Amino acid sequence: MNLISVTINHKTAPIELREALYLSEIEIRKILNQIKETLLKEVCILSTCNRTEIYGVPSNHSITYREVQEFILTQKPVTKIKSDNFLNYYSCGAANHLFRVSSGIDSLVIGDQQILGQVKDAYNIAVEENCVGTFLQKTFQSALKLGKRIKTETDLFEGPTSVSSAAVQLAGKIFSDLKKKSVLVIGAGETGKLTIQNLIQKNVTNLTISNRTFSRAEKLAAKYNAKVLPFDNLKERLNEYDIIISATSSNSILINRDEMSAAMRKRKFEPVCIMDIAIPRDFDPNVKDIENIFYNDIDSLQTMVNLSLEGKKALLPAIQKIIMEELIELFSWYNSLQISPLLKSMREQFESVRSQEFDAFKNKFASNEVENLELLTKRIVKKLLHNPTVYLRKSADQVDTQGELQLKIKILKDMFNLNSKGNESE
Amino acid sequence: MKILIENLNIAIPILYFIVFILYFSNFWKPRKSLARLKRIILFLTLLIHFFYLFARTIEFDHVPITNIFEIFTLLAFAITLSYYILELITEVRNTGMFILFIPMVFQIISSLKIVDLLNVQEILRSPFLGVHVFTALAGYAGITFSAIYGGLYLMLYKQIKMHRFGLLYQRLPNLELLESLNYTSALIGFTMLSTAIVIGIIWMPQAFTNPSYFDPKLIATIFIWILYALGITTKIFAKWRGKRIIYLSLAGFVVALFSMTLLNLLFTGFHKFH
Repeated sequence: MNLISVTINHKTAPIELREALYLSEIEIRKILNQIKETLLKEVCILSTCNRTEIYGVPSNHSITYREVQEFILTQKPVTKIKSDNFLNYYSCGAANHLFRVSSGIDSLVIGDQQILGQVKDAYNIAVEENCVGTFLQKTFQSALKLGKRIKTETDLFEGPTSVSSAAVQLAGKIFSDLKKKSVLVIGAGETGKLTIQNLIQKNVTNLTISNRTFSRAEKLAAKYNAKVLPFDNLKERLNEYDIIISATSSNSILINRDEMSAAMRKRKFEPVCIMDIAIPRDFDPNVKDIENIFYNDIDSLQTMVNLSLEGKKALLPAIQKIIMEELIELFSWYNSLQISPLLKSMREQFESVRSQEFDAFKNKFASNEVENLELLTKRIVKKLLHNPTVYLRKSADQVDTQGELQLKIKILKDMFNLNSKGNESE
Repeated sequence: MKILIENLNIAIPILYFIVFILYFSNFWKPRKSLARLKRIILFLTLLIHFFYLFARTIEFDHVPITNIFEIFTLLAFAITLSYYILELITEVRNTGMFILFIPMVFQIISSLKIVDLLNVQEILRSPFLGVHVFTALAGYAGITFSAIYGGLYLMLYKQIKMHRFGLLYQRLPNLELLESLNYTSALIGFTMLSTAIVIGIIWMPQAFTNPSYFDPKLIATIFIWILYALGITTKIFAKWRGKRIIYLSLAGFVVALFSMTLLNLLFTGFHKFH
């Protein structure tokens, strides 16, 4: 399999280098077209905040990962980058790497859900730029199928991977439909923003933002189509919200137990979920003792994340098994591509010998026997070809890392003098 | 026919056991193939159980309500059927093991002890009585479900409050849904009990020459009916939510259980037929 992969990712390079090598969609389209003309006849580029990877089929045997690395660095010059920052894979290794990436187990946070969509986008861009041939098409489709299998057959994508996603997931364990719930986010910082993004993914629409600096809350609210609650009115209107997420940089407690008790009385003790992800905490932790208040601080949410990650790690053997199954299927397909031309040549040659001999001898038989004679010769040829065909197909179904299949193909070609027929596959 | 009934009497508890094991194992280790299989087996069990009850009715010429063990098999059927409908409506499939344990126990006891009575009081052959008993059983099944979902609500409530994100946290549906299941089951149970009471009261003067309105079962049922009517009214008008309403429903169930048991043990009435 003539596939190569050059990658720089969170395991090989610090964030500064990854950022420097990050390629936008416009850059990807430009590079795809340039690299296709010079180095790789099929190519696909995946670039996310954690990785930039190039998968391709070299135009000729002299092209290696070095040329690909050099090409990328001429297009996107990055100082301080070393060859150690790249990982290079070939053949089975390259396919295995792509499969690991699309399954989510190679991500910075194991079980990252976004990666499958990113692989799909990368593939679609390459298709649009006419950079995908039969080989990359099959490889990427297998990778996408693998991702879907992981999603349906395992729980890898279940469970939170960050504190903000844990907060949203916990709210989903308390309420049936987050869409119908009123959500208040206190604090317009980075954590608040991340949580809002997670909430919007869960179709939350009734969103209110409150921040000490009103203009920042307004800005964030405009971005996410949310309402703004003036910080001074916060305490008296706490009762209006089913989910409260607090992530301010306040140095002291913002809401004490009595204030929260009063809010609960106002809302007739309807359940409230409070996610206090600020350090130091914004809510008095004693609010957890109030009936129907589900209070979580950053520690409990982090516990949830850790448990989820442990669970995901336990799934690794099952996922490796699925990856291996998909690799075997891909290689069987690839090997069958290689044996098809050989089988065709063999059939043609046997048929040519048969028809020549048949034509030469048919006049020596009575006219009523000619038809049976032709049938007989055809049957003999078919039977002679049966065993080699089965043998080759069986060999093609096995993962071939040692080039055994290539050797068998060569022997058969030499033995039957099929080299002149062409149909060489790569 | 009798041989078939005897064979079904052995097969049905085995089927209930298989169903319970399937729901049990799928709770601890969810697999999509098993999730489909368990529902199919549950449906088949119900179908066979229905045929068994039908066959008994034809063979012995009375609805199977003449003795406690016939009531048990009918109760097992009523609970399972109610659960199956609830599962179809809500698509909550993970709570089955907490409920299907009950019909399994009832069916095993019934199968071990059931007697085939051919000569029963004429009154027990009435189809009115069949409807009355079935609605009453379905009513009690409803309030039992309500209590089970209430119990599951409290378990999950505690898990979330104490930040324990283990297996129960992962497998149980969300609190709001459990609360809604608790309420819907109570509402269905209440409606069924109301139907049973109405049919009973209308039919009673026709069936008995000297019926007593102080029959312990009647008193207990009306008492339970009032309790649930109060609970449902509180939920609707006082807008109680969460833990409070769950406690109320559990209290209702405990009172129902004790009043039914105590009144039946201490007093006798026209509800005894053998």
